[in-house]
Amino acid sequence: MTVAGQGVRYLDRPNSGGLVEVIDLILDKGLVIDIYVRVSLVGIELLTIDARIVVASVDTYLRFAEAVNRLDLARSGTETRGLPGMMEEIQEGGAEHKAKGVLKGAKDKAQEFLGSNEDEDDEEEEAEYEDQDDEDQDEDQAEDQDQDDQEEPEPEPVRSRRQSRTAGRKGRAR
Amino acid sequence: MSAAAPAARKDRAEHGWYVYGVVRESVAADEAVEDLPAVGSADARIAFVPHGGIAAVVSELTEERPLGTPDDLRAHAQVLDSLAAGFEPVLPLRFGTVLRDARAVADELLAGGHDDFVAALDRLEGSAQFTLGARYVEGAVLREILDEQPDARRLREELSRLPEDAGYYRKIQLGQLMAEAVDAKRDPDAAEIDRRLSPLAVAVAAEEPNAPEAVADVSFLVERDRRQAFEEAAEDLARRWHGRIRLRLLGPVAPYAFATEAMAGLGEG
Repeated sequence: MTVAGQGVRYLDRPNSGGLVEVIDLILDKGLVIDIYVRVSLVGIELLTIDARIVVASVDTYLRFAEAVNRLDLARSGTETRGLPGMMEEIQEGGAEHKAKGVLKGAKDKAQEFLGSNEDEDDEEEEAEYEDQDDEDQDEDQAEDQDQDDQEEPEPEPVRSRRQSRTAGRKGRAR
Repeated sequence: MSAAAPAARKDRAEHGWYVYGVVRESVAADEAVEDLPAVGSADARIAFVPHGGIAAVVSELTEERPLGTPDDLRAHAQVLDSLAAGFEPVLPLRFGTVLRDARAVADELLAGGHDDFVAALDRLEGSAQFTLGARYVEGAVLREILDEQPDARRLREELSRLPEDAGYYRKIQLGQLMAEAVDAKRDPDAAEIDRRLSPLAVAVAAEEPNAPEAVADVSFLVERDRRQAFEEAAEDLARRWHGRIRLRLLGPVAPYAFATEAMAGLGEG
């Protein structure tokens, strides 16, 4: 660290980001090459969509309301009981859902491109998530949202058209 | 792993080469990078495909599986960030870029885009990306809003007199009021970040806030000479906002947010 400050540092300086930060960092960023030899560009569209989910819903409002209700107005410092947990809950709930969505998206997309369907990967990924879920009291909420996502009808015609075009391109490249 | 056996060579050609990014050929002997984990393959090594003074950072895909696991994403970033750590120019490609074989990397990618890549690397010379995340802290911002908004205080008092499962719509009303008040605070706070840090950067790329407590997510392209001044300015801001807004600074990392801009002509015009 070049800039080791004098005494306490207020700026959070992680050496490397967590998974969600890495996703934010690389997601939807970097050069897209558009040459015919490109074999695959995995998950880009779905990655993009899922990452842009902005939580602005009744759900968010209710959480804000609860956070405010738990606020102990008698105490004036920055330290409050209950509320930090609430804010963190909001944060983690949102972040975790995003990470799940993104990686599912990437996987779906990859399968679309590569035409493979391996269950082993599913299990591996689930295992990863469980580590993160430990402290998340809001897991049920996130699960519900995931289910909702899945229930939505897929835009079938668009998907299959894209798939066949990709396959065509792949064939030509060989 | 039997995937690397000669018998599998035909299959391997189909799996392709994962491309991380483009660097100058002079950087292409980075041993620290060569030992990092690769995207998509546990046993592949990071390699460089040189062509005319530039080089693509690649690794071979030896396994038949979709890309996009957490390890894949981390590996992609780790390779590029290691190259960028010394403020060497790096052009990151988007995650998931796979070319058919090494020849395609040299002949199609590098030869085809040679002059553009060289120009973009020149534009990124001596700079790296720093990404700042700003988040409202704990109850501080909610208290601030309650102090400022009598309506919110009144709603909160009404709700406190009701049983826990009653007052659903009033809860939503209160929550919406709070959420909107946070939204209204976001703009001036984000503007303050911009005012303090942007003058120290070559280029700035801000993202839409993606969480209720997010103040801003901003990437800065910072020159080596100004790194210290930049980090000190961020620290000053973090000290001033301590207890109200939490600042988290990642970097130096590869210029993910500026790659496209670098190709088009960074900071020109």
